Amino acid sequence: MKNSFSLKAGALLATAFGIILVSGSTGGVAFAADAVPEGFKKAELSPEPAADMIEAGKRVYFTKCVWCHGVDGAGDGPGADRLWPRPRNFNQGTFKIRRTASGELPLFDAKKPIPGQNDLFETVTHGLPGSAMPSWEGILTEEQRLQVLSFVTTQLVKDRKFTDKQSESQTVLQLDELKPIAASEESLKKGAELIVEKKCVECHGAEGRGDGNAFNLKDDWGFSIQPADWHKCWNFRGSRQDPYNVKNIFRTFSTGVNGTPMPSFADNSTVEERWHIANFVNSLCEREADGKPLSIDPLADKPKINFVVSSGVVEGEIPADPEHELWKNRARRYVAMGGQITHKPRNFVNRIDDIWVKSLYNDKHVVFMFQWDDRTKSVAEGKLPWAPTSVNVDVKEQDPKTGEEGSIASHQNNYTVYNDAIAMQTAVKWKELPAPIKPRYLFGSNEQFPVDIVKWEADGSLRAFEGTGWDKDFTQRDTYEENIKILHSEWKNGRWTVIIQRPLGNKKDQDYDEDTFFEMGQYIPTVFFAWDGHNGDAGRKMAVSAFYYTFLEPPTPREAYIYPVVIAFGVVLLEGWVLTRRSNKRKGKTL
Amino acid sequence: MKALMSVAALIGAVGILLLAGMIVDIIPSNTVRLVEGYMPMQVLFELTLFVAGFTGLSYMMGSMGMAVPRFWQGILFWSFILLYLKFRVYPPIPFSVRAMYGTVSLIAVFMWVSANEEDWKKFKQPIMNILDAQTGANKLLRYAYLVLLPILIGGFSYNAMVPKSEEPIELRTVHPAPPASTKVHGKTYTLQTSQNPYRVNLEGKFDQEYSNANIVEQGMGRLMKPNANPWDKDAQGYLKYVREGGEIFFQNCHFCHGDNLNGRGLHAFAFNPIPANFTDPGTIAQLQETFIFWRVSKGGIGLPNEGFPWASVMPPWEQHLTVDEIWKVILFEYWHTGYYPRTWD
Repeated sequence: MKNSFSLKAGALLATAFGIILVSGSTGGVAFAADAVPEGFKKAELSPEPAADMIEAGKRVYFTKCVWCHGVDGAGDGPGADRLWPRPRNFNQGTFKIRRTASGELPLFDAKKPIPGQNDLFETVTHGLPGSAMPSWEGILTEEQRLQVLSFVTTQLVKDRKFTDKQSESQTVLQLDELKPIAASEESLKKGAELIVEKKCVECHGAEGRGDGNAFNLKDDWGFSIQPADWHKCWNFRGSRQDPYNVKNIFRTFSTGVNGTPMPSFADNSTVEERWHIANFVNSLCEREADGKPLSIDPLADKPKINFVVSSGVVEGEIPADPEHELWKNRARRYVAMGGQITHKPRNFVNRIDDIWVKSLYNDKHVVFMFQWDDRTKSVAEGKLPWAPTSVNVDVKEQDPKTGEEGSIASHQNNYTVYNDAIAMQTAVKWKELPAPIKPRYLFGSNEQFPVDIVKWEADGSLRAFEGTGWDKDFTQRDTYEENIKILHSEWKNGRWTVIIQRPLGNKKDQDYDEDTFFEMGQYIPTVFFAWDGHNGDAGRKMAVSAFYYTFLEPPTPREAYIYPVVIAFGVVLLEGWVLTRRSNKRKGKTL
Repeated sequence: MKALMSVAALIGAVGILLLAGMIVDIIPSNTVRLVEGYMPMQVLFELTLFVAGFTGLSYMMGSMGMAVPRFWQGILFWSFILLYLKFRVYPPIPFSVRAMYGTVSLIAVFMWVSANEEDWKKFKQPIMNILDAQTGANKLLRYAYLVLLPILIGGFSYNAMVPKSEEPIELRTVHPAPPASTKVHGKTYTLQTSQNPYRVNLEGKFDQEYSNANIVEQGMGRLMKPNANPWDKDAQGYLKYVREGGEIFFQNCHFCHGDNLNGRGLHAFAFNPIPANFTDPGTIAQLQETFIFWRVSKGGIGLPNEGFPWASVMPPWEQHLTVDEIWKVILFEYWHTGYYPRTWD
């Protein structure tokens, strides 16, 4: 009851505020006739969709959409309370990704499923990457997508009307006509200066990892919201499944994101400035070593995954400085992270969704460098209420149905802060595991096939554990801890860099039953875990990767130089034989 | 005839240019997008177009006096198939499977070029010419082959021997044999005789025909039947339970199995094996409801030995849901995909 009351009050307030805003802007128009921001043009409102489209759309909505967006489109469906960002509340008519000016309704015309002229259609077609909204292309037909949008825009958007000429206007960004400026060095330099001048860095952080002011931002509904991490363009909601396209950034920057603190910069920046900024932001997105965009898996809209983390051989010491040549030249691997959703407490919202891993080894050690984006450095205050070996710690998982106030979205900035942490789990005695060699996924199978877990925490500790099952507390391995070392750990501008050194192991010096042996040329099953302290991550509430393989690259064997030569010689002999046979046969014929 | 063939030739030429552009990365590979759902039909359609195009091309070149010898036609067509499989089909096919397709299509090409004695002779002719080396050009070619072949084969074998890190291939049984019975929350369920207690008609009786009549329609979109809306306030029996199952699904399962039950949830991209796609006719559509009940209750950790590797993150749902909730979710999954559960008889 109380909940709905406060909502109504909020809506009232928002409406009142809206009226002031609208009257303010009409006043502005009277003052400077047709003051349209640069790059925009006035357009007519679209006609109302046909009644049969609306009716047909209802059927689509109640099959596919209602589960998250709710019966009244208030973004309060059964799935809403465990999602962050929460599903869109359609009632206010606030839509994020548009080509229309800030505050205006998005483009929608039930008769024009044309890219560039129909914002809502594109949102449904491509989904909103980085959120739970999937791409509906290939699932719903074009017609069905238009139908459901007809229903949503006429029946579920309640506070505004798409066809009301009195209150609504459309000022459309002419994105297709504006020609992008090439991303030259000069343009990038100007962009880098402009993001400071326009104060982008205040929210998005000095390096654009979304770490500035990360926990004080709220959307129109009072839910905590994060500034985008420019290094993960595939998570941009407005990326339209084309994340490295600079036009998407230009559009978002020009029109703003309605309902969030991200304003439109159309009025205080020229088109040219906007291109420079878009170029610069685009240049920050993670790329291959040669500067090419990462290849994106079209089924997941995330970078493609290779499950082998290969480790390069080094003569002598392995450097502790991440800026060292050897580390810089080493290929890195993208490790995708999902929430741990197998056992309680499940982590429905994992804020760490990838880790970059590099590895080097020499005759004694194997070293892993982990780099991941984390908007906040989190170190628990005081002593943690449980032992480091505890697995079944007292962290509650989000209840399925709580209403907005208790939802996961409203918890986002008030969790008890624990330590940021990272761990790698490798199989002990992996050679003896039945094929294909893998222990049980989470914390090992049993005492016969345990796993070795090395965990670093932001309080500076580095510990080694033995895991014997998902619900069994760890055993701490002091003898092994003496041999492992943190070479480097630093949080800077929204990114952790942690370098951990551990022994390669061999049968002579170490305990075969407890230590993982990193044997050259073999595939060693490895899993990565990550905890974000500000997400209240502890114990099993964490982010997990799938099984990867650590592979120590062996030097090229001598056989690789000998056999090919032998084979080539064999081919020469074969050729001689074929030719002789043929010519003998011909001779026989002619004779 | 000629007009028709020239159209086909045009299609062929454009198709080859597009494919070549995609291979060398000048044209973005999503220019003609493969869309899930249409994908198999799209590929078949494209291949048909290509074959028509090639027919047109060879006809046109023949009539222009530039006929491509049968020998080269065979080789070109085979390499086209290999390239198409490698660069066009998505998700990528593993090398082992591509090798199989390659072999099959090689045999097909051989059958084509050796369909009759005359064709086979035509096919063999270029090889024989080189072997015999009657002309100067052929002599030159023969020497070139003599030198190049050993180098190429030596190079390939070196490439094969240099250490590389490729992900080991793992085979797993996707649907392992179920046990005779399973114990969930203290109660034993015999898989052969158990029934979904919520698959009931308006009178509350188990009624598979009634529920089958109320599932979503097959075909694009898989929408609900117009008069069978589980969100109807007055929905009773089967449809009411479908809604309750859907609520549980969207509070627990969609994170991996996706909003459209196609295995493309929020977390799915991080996991391997990827979550099951229920809209695929190879998953729940071929299984009995009690099999699903067993798999859902026990999760990845409850897989029998042949279900290796134990890398699945599927939760043992008995830890999170009650028996009733599990049955309702299963009910919802069949409703939403429009499939009937298989029965034991």
